[in-house]
Amino acid sequence: MTSQDSVNEGRLGIVVSGSLTKGVEVRLDSSTSVEDMVVGRYVTIEGEKRRFFGMITDVSLEATDPKVAVTPPDISDPLIAEVIAGTTTYGKLHVSPYLTIGSDAVSIVEGPQPVKTVPAHFSAVKLASQRDVELVFGSEDEKQFYIGTPLDMETKVCLNVSEFVKRSNGVFGKSGTGKTFLTRLLLIGILQKQAAVSLVFDMHNEYGWEGRDERGHKVKGLKQLFPSRVAIFSLDEESSRRRKVNTDFVVKIGYDEIEPEDVGLLRQTLSLTEASTQAVYQLAREFGQRRWLGSLLSMDDGEETKGLIAKLNIHESTYRNLRRGLEKLRRFPFLIAQAPDNSVQRILDYLERGINVILEFGGYEDYAAYILVANMLSRRIHAQYQEKMEKAMGDYTARPRALVITIEEAHRFLNPELSEQTIFGTIAREMRKYNVTLLVIDQRPSGIDDDIMSQIGTKITCLLDNERDVDSVLAGMTGRNELKAVLSKLETKQQALIFGHAVPMPVVIKTREYGSAASYKEFASLVSAERRQESEKDDLWAE
Amino acid sequence: MEIAAKVGEVIEASTSEFVAQCYQLHEPPPLGSLVKTKNAPGETYGIVYHAETHSLEPGRRPIARGEEVKEEEEIFRNNPQLAKLLCTDFRALVVGYGEGNRFFHYLPPRPARIHSFVYLCSMDEARNFARSLNFLSLLIEANLAVPVDEIVAASLRHFSQAYDDQQAFLVKAGKELALLLSGELKRLNSILRRLK
Amino acid sequence: MSLDLAQIAIQIDSMAAKLQASEEERKQKLDFALNTLRSQSANLASLKRKIETGKTTWLVAGIEDKLDAHYPAPPSPEDFIVLATDGSHIDVDRHRSARCFVINIGIVRLNYGQTPSAFLSSLPMLHFKEEDVVLSSTTGSQQETIEGSLLGVKRSVEECHLLAELAKEVEANLPTVALLDGSLVLWGLAGQVYPAFVADALLENGLLKHLEELRQLSKGRQLALASYISFPRSTEVVNVLRLALCPYEPVDCDRYCASKTKERDCDNVAGLLDRELFEQLLTEGECSALFSSHSSIVKEHYREHQIYFFYVKTAGELVRVEVPQWVAEGRRLLDITHTIILDQCRRGQGYPVALSEAHEKAVITAADRDQFWQLVERSLARQDRMVKSSAKAKSKRMRWI
Repeated sequence: MTSQDSVNEGRLGIVVSGSLTKGVEVRLDSSTSVEDMVVGRYVTIEGEKRRFFGMITDVSLEATDPKVAVTPPDISDPLIAEVIAGTTTYGKLHVSPYLTIGSDAVSIVEGPQPVKTVPAHFSAVKLASQRDVELVFGSEDEKQFYIGTPLDMETKVCLNVSEFVKRSNGVFGKSGTGKTFLTRLLLIGILQKQAAVSLVFDMHNEYGWEGRDERGHKVKGLKQLFPSRVAIFSLDEESSRRRKVNTDFVVKIGYDEIEPEDVGLLRQTLSLTEASTQAVYQLAREFGQRRWLGSLLSMDDGEETKGLIAKLNIHESTYRNLRRGLEKLRRFPFLIAQAPDNSVQRILDYLERGINVILEFGGYEDYAAYILVANMLSRRIHAQYQEKMEKAMGDYTARPRALVITIEEAHRFLNPELSEQTIFGTIAREMRKYNVTLLVIDQRPSGIDDDIMSQIGTKITCLLDNERDVDSVLAGMTGRNELKAVLSKLETKQQALIFGHAVPMPVVIKTREYGSAASYKEFASLVSAERRQESEKDDLWAE
Repeated sequence: MEIAAKVGEVIEASTSEFVAQCYQLHEPPPLGSLVKTKNAPGETYGIVYHAETHSLEPGRRPIARGEEVKEEEEIFRNNPQLAKLLCTDFRALVVGYGEGNRFFHYLPPRPARIHSFVYLCSMDEARNFARSLNFLSLLIEANLAVPVDEIVAASLRHFSQAYDDQQAFLVKAGKELALLLSGELKRLNSILRRLK
Repeated sequence: MSLDLAQIAIQIDSMAAKLQASEEERKQKLDFALNTLRSQSANLASLKRKIETGKTTWLVAGIEDKLDAHYPAPPSPEDFIVLATDGSHIDVDRHRSARCFVINIGIVRLNYGQTPSAFLSSLPMLHFKEEDVVLSSTTGSQQETIEGSLLGVKRSVEECHLLAELAKEVEANLPTVALLDGSLVLWGLAGQVYPAFVADALLENGLLKHLEELRQLSKGRQLALASYISFPRSTEVVNVLRLALCPYEPVDCDRYCASKTKERDCDNVAGLLDRELFEQLLTEGECSALFSSHSSIVKEHYREHQIYFFYVKTAGELVRVEVPQWVAEGRRLLDITHTIILDQCRRGQGYPVALSEAHEKAVITAADRDQFWQLVERSLARQDRMVKSSAKAKSKRMRWI
């Protein structure tokens, strides 16, 4: 076979027009059926001097003669049908090239390069081979975690976990599209590669011990898979016990642990007025940071109280509003006057030892509890981290372990209104200054402050059908119009689009299997392999 | 191996076509068939696009003779001079020439020679000639006394008989036509419909 | 002065009346002639005698058969051959540099029956040699150039010549009729216009030689020769009636009817043509009785090739057929002549197809003629014969160069 033949073998079509910014148009050969072309698949383009790697972002029907649409030919005649296909009528692909691979010296040494030019006219276009995909996405190793397969291929797409944890990241998608499964995989990935230690605020009790899939079957949680590496903290002992979950610690929070900043967050959920939140600061000044809440809750409606609030310039109605709102907090059994133990410290202990902590919220499915606890704990943990990091300036070994905090319903914390106030806004903006990053899970990304979204390094998006959500996720991406098409065509389950720092180019994956015995074995076995490696390393040093 | 059959003799020749008189009255080569005539050092190939039977002398016209007769052959039997007074001619459009085993699908340097014999090409030869479909572009653009599309279809039908898989050849030819006639969908359709 | 239509109109009217009258008159004459024919029919012997002894200024036919005899066509043979020749010529042109003429003979053979076939050809002959373009007496003292009407005679002789040659080549086992167009009698030589040596050359050594060849060929096979005359103007049989009506015996026109004003009995039928007579007498397909030609040239020169004739009513017209003696004497030959001529006329839309095809092959158009002379001039110019031509031709030739 001549080189020209080998170029043409297996080709789909040829490049006929396009630009770097808008992507290239590919005219399909008559032997290629347009119905086989799927948006999101990878193709390679054999240019004159280099090979390009890109994604199909649109498929369209074309004709050399516009009259075809007005007076279609008689395709009941098989001869006419066969002749017309690919000549008068033909399929067209829109391909967004992202990388150049192979051929030139730079690519060979440094791997795929971002694309800076377009392929020459009439370059042959083929479906990407397994080898090409491997070349681009790498294979599993100590930094790469296998997260799924590209469309219609068996090759493994790997996420660069160390890159992943360098920034805050997001998992987005309509409810029911598989965000939870993806998050589990990401947590396992971070765990396996020991890239960071995780603290998960598990609102619906899905990550710790076990969860359920859409059919209601049980799937194992992280603790079942990695018993020695995961600790489950529970906010609701009763619920955990009922679910037969092995808790390592029951979290109780004392009134003295709630600070005025924590209340500001709860304004909406507790229906507090602006004035009320201001009043909290005054009360704190009056009673002290640690005693204001206790004092407030024990205040009666007597004259003393009236006199006090008048003194503090707090309006009667404001006081009522505040009282009413904060009473709601009393309902939380985990909130007691005096906590027996320091939950924050406990958490930090585990994290320091490299053990991932998952805080279950049990039956407390209401947002107030979630927002309060997650924010409060995170704020304190972050403060500790800050201290430690500042102390360890220069001394690398003294730094605390990299921490990834996972929060759900992120738009409730990170909407433009609140993002200034929550610790999460701060964490997201400071970009791992203090070795802490976020993993936000959300189904309404349009609710998240644009500023925060722009700080998110890698986005993993399942199907989104709200235009505003799609726009917010893709904001700032080059070629976002093409990706929009890809995003809107994702299947409702088990498919996601990943783009950002942790992958060399946007990729549509079918998520790796999670829930079968085989999948559990795979996760577990790798850990033991690493553990063996670890112990071998220790032995080495021991001598 | 089929041998080409001698069907006529060139009586007019130009760069783009030649006219031949048939040896047998009423037996011209079929419309659209490939014929060839010697044109040293090789042979000129043409596609038959028109045939005509007429009186040898311009002023004399045939008249109906068969009113009383049951069969048409009887007319010729009863009037044996008729066969000598009529002749059948055919016109072929030049579509290429050949030297040895090589074919060239463009006009030959010189026209055919008067009185050279014209042969109907065998199916093998037709298949070899049609390996490249370049001659179609000559055919499509020709200015003929008969509708060109009829001739294109007739010649493709004729060539397709040389192949075991007739349909595959017709599809291949059809696609070539689709490219040549990319702005003329109606014309493409009308030709394709005539390929059955 | 414009035409006085009023005056003319009257004259036109009287012309029409006259024509009508003459038409009426003609009709009456015809009826009378037919009656005469019928009534005289049986008087074979006495009529014959009257014809032998009579001296008339007009030609009378010899009779062999009942005057009003009429015969239907016998059945046609299955397989038969028809031969025909016809000619045309390019006459001598005095203004040309060479004295020559062209005779072009069309030759046709048609086979009918089990194995039908046809042969159509033409043979052009250029005559330029002294002995070909000029007839000389034996001593050489007298010469006659062949041109004009003499050339026409020569042509007729050539037609017969080639017909004989053609007959030699066809298979002998099939009935064959050889046809010529026009008369077998070389009228051009009649009336003492040319000296004897001309008749010798063209008749003795010409037509008669070929007639003899044909006669020899016809021995042992069915080969007939006939000439076909369309729209004949002859009056020989009507003249027999005139003779029959003549009160005198022996008949002597000079003696008894010298005066032009005298009314003659024979005037009652004079002016009619034979064809008018037989048109009425014969039904389609029938032929008349056989008659013989008493023209002087036949009597004096044709010897054993005396010319006979009969009339045939074809689908289209009334036709005169002339045959040599050896054909007239053979019943079988006469039959096939009669029936095949009818057959040919049917196939030929009213005229024998073999003759019409021979005619087509012989035709020389004006363009042909011009091209011929151009060729001659060019060829001669190359041979450098400019010296001997006339000044007129020279000036013409100058234009060529």
